[in-house]
Amino acid sequence: MTVERTEARRFPVGLLLVAAPVLLVAVFVLLPAIAAIVSTLRPDAAGWSFSAYARFFGDRLSTGNLLFTLVSTLVTSSALLLLCLPIALYLRFSSGRLPTFVQSVAVFPLFVPGIIVGYALIRFMGPNGTIQTVLHAIGINGFRSPYLTPVGTVIGLVWEGIPLTLLILLSGLAQVPDAAIEAARDVGAGGLRILTGIILPLIRNSLTVAFSLSFLGVFGAFTMPYLLGPASPEMMGVFMQRTFSELQDPLQAQTQAVMCFLFCAVVGVIYVRSVARSRRKSA
Amino acid sequence: MSELVIDRLSKHFSGTRAVADVEVAIDDGELVCLLGPSGCGKSTVLRMIAGFERPTSGRILIDGEDVVALPPDRRPTGMVFQSHALWSHMTVFQNVAFGLKLRRLSRAAIREKVAGVLDLVGLTGFEARYPGQLSGGQQQRVAIARCVVLEPKILLMDEPFSALDAHLRVRLREEVRAIQRRLGLTTIFVTHDQEEALTLADRVVVMRSGTVEQIGSPSAIYAEPATRFVAGFIGTMNIIERQVTGGLAKLGDTRIAVDGPDGIYGFALRPEDLSLGGAWSGEVQRVLDLGAFRMLDVTVSSETIKVQVDKSVRILVGDEIGLDIHEVAAFDGEGRARPARVHGTIESGVRLHA
Repeated sequence: MTVERTEARRFPVGLLLVAAPVLLVAVFVLLPAIAAIVSTLRPDAAGWSFSAYARFFGDRLSTGNLLFTLVSTLVTSSALLLLCLPIALYLRFSSGRLPTFVQSVAVFPLFVPGIIVGYALIRFMGPNGTIQTVLHAIGINGFRSPYLTPVGTVIGLVWEGIPLTLLILLSGLAQVPDAAIEAARDVGAGGLRILTGIILPLIRNSLTVAFSLSFLGVFGAFTMPYLLGPASPEMMGVFMQRTFSELQDPLQAQTQAVMCFLFCAVVGVIYVRSVARSRRKSA
Repeated sequence: MSELVIDRLSKHFSGTRAVADVEVAIDDGELVCLLGPSGCGKSTVLRMIAGFERPTSGRILIDGEDVVALPPDRRPTGMVFQSHALWSHMTVFQNVAFGLKLRRLSRAAIREKVAGVLDLVGLTGFEARYPGQLSGGQQQRVAIARCVVLEPKILLMDEPFSALDAHLRVRLREEVRAIQRRLGLTTIFVTHDQEEALTLADRVVVMRSGTVEQIGSPSAIYAEPATRFVAGFIGTMNIIERQVTGGLAKLGDTRIAVDGPDGIYGFALRPEDLSLGGAWSGEVQRVLDLGAFRMLDVTVSSETIKVQVDKSVRILVGDEIGLDIHEVAAFDGEGRARPARVHGTIESGVRLHA
């Protein structure tokens, strides 16, 4: 009886606590999103129509940019996992001063604004930058700078995404007990088998979360693609901005945004399911 | 089934001594308990045998072969961990079969072996369950099955029941003993629970601060502790300090003959080695009814000692009682046991018990 009463009293308090952020998201995110979707489906007073989408998919530049964004995002997110997983494994299973130093270096990009990183990378890998100068000094010529190429965008986005991916993987690996690894070694498993048979399955949720969050961040990225990427094809963030302010075509910009939203929503569902599964597991 | 020899094994962590010159020889099919307080080095010894820690010095011989240089996966040992260490993403079947798959056994052979070992630990029918769907006791049985299915020469158990409740601990202890006897597995069992060690082991190795204090059968460890530490650590013991002069000490009206030089000695008296009726008198401070018997806290000569009496004896707090000493052990200033016996009472002078 007492428990029921306490629960009943706690219920509205809990709702009140989440009401403010939910309201903010509803007013400033959901309503504009719904309004944008509706406006792309009702481009004029004539009624409902898919004409804005027909125009988007009929334009090779638009579909090319969408494909380029998708490929760049998948490559960047995969590169982030491939790069951060060995670092996270090293940090999880080592001790001493060197791992502490490596972690500090790996998390460093978190504290540097993206625009500064962008210009630093231009100076580093751009024409007449550090790499080219050093290579030239040791007699190697013919360096082709990745600046203003798709590779340049990926390099910038990977540099920017390392800290978040690394921290998520580290938190996942922290949940893997030492005894689970030792038990695998004890029954005869080598390093690779422990990685594929024990560690990776145990951190599957963290891998999914890391991939989803980097995908969502990279898909809508603006600064790095704007500073380091090619003029064409261009990533959707830059494309949307240019369509809106230079071409002054808000309807197409909104259509592009809805397309981005749809792709991100799929990944968002995967992310939410992964978080829910992990919460169910720990409950 | 194998013999294990631990030869002058030492381990230092960043200059701190964790294990020092441990020497133990374990016979084929024997179950030996490493017993000691937290931090005494017992788990470190076990981990060195399993290969998870590299000894600073010393040898570990299994059937005469030194295994110190071998990694854990190449040692003929199997370890059961305190935390079960089951892989939560695998079913019971997959957990047990993991090691067999690494040995490239056929599917039929794996199925047969897993079924056999799950039957042995009483978990037939649980093959498809995940560890999270099992109780603590069932999880520990899976961990034992995972080890036993690989037929290790030496079974290592690191406080496997410490996370379980008392009833389950007793039941699993008996089950482990039965499995160990049936398979004839040479087993080392680490525990800080003296009752567990005394009821389970063929021999007990009592450790303290990284060194071995005493090795012996449970009855020998209990009845004839080699050091003051063992006397105090195993069972309930009253330890009273007295001066020995001319080979004699006095506990109340009882004379104790000690074979050793004069000095301050610690005299160890088990509660069951004291009885009512002597002239060593004191006041009862507390009466604890422990079911089969009663334990009294009695203040004698400003010291509180524990006395075990039959449950039929009616004694109340505040009663004055007299005590008689039947058995006593003496430990010199360095804590080593010295031969001692009850020599008689001061009044009678010559009453001999030993």
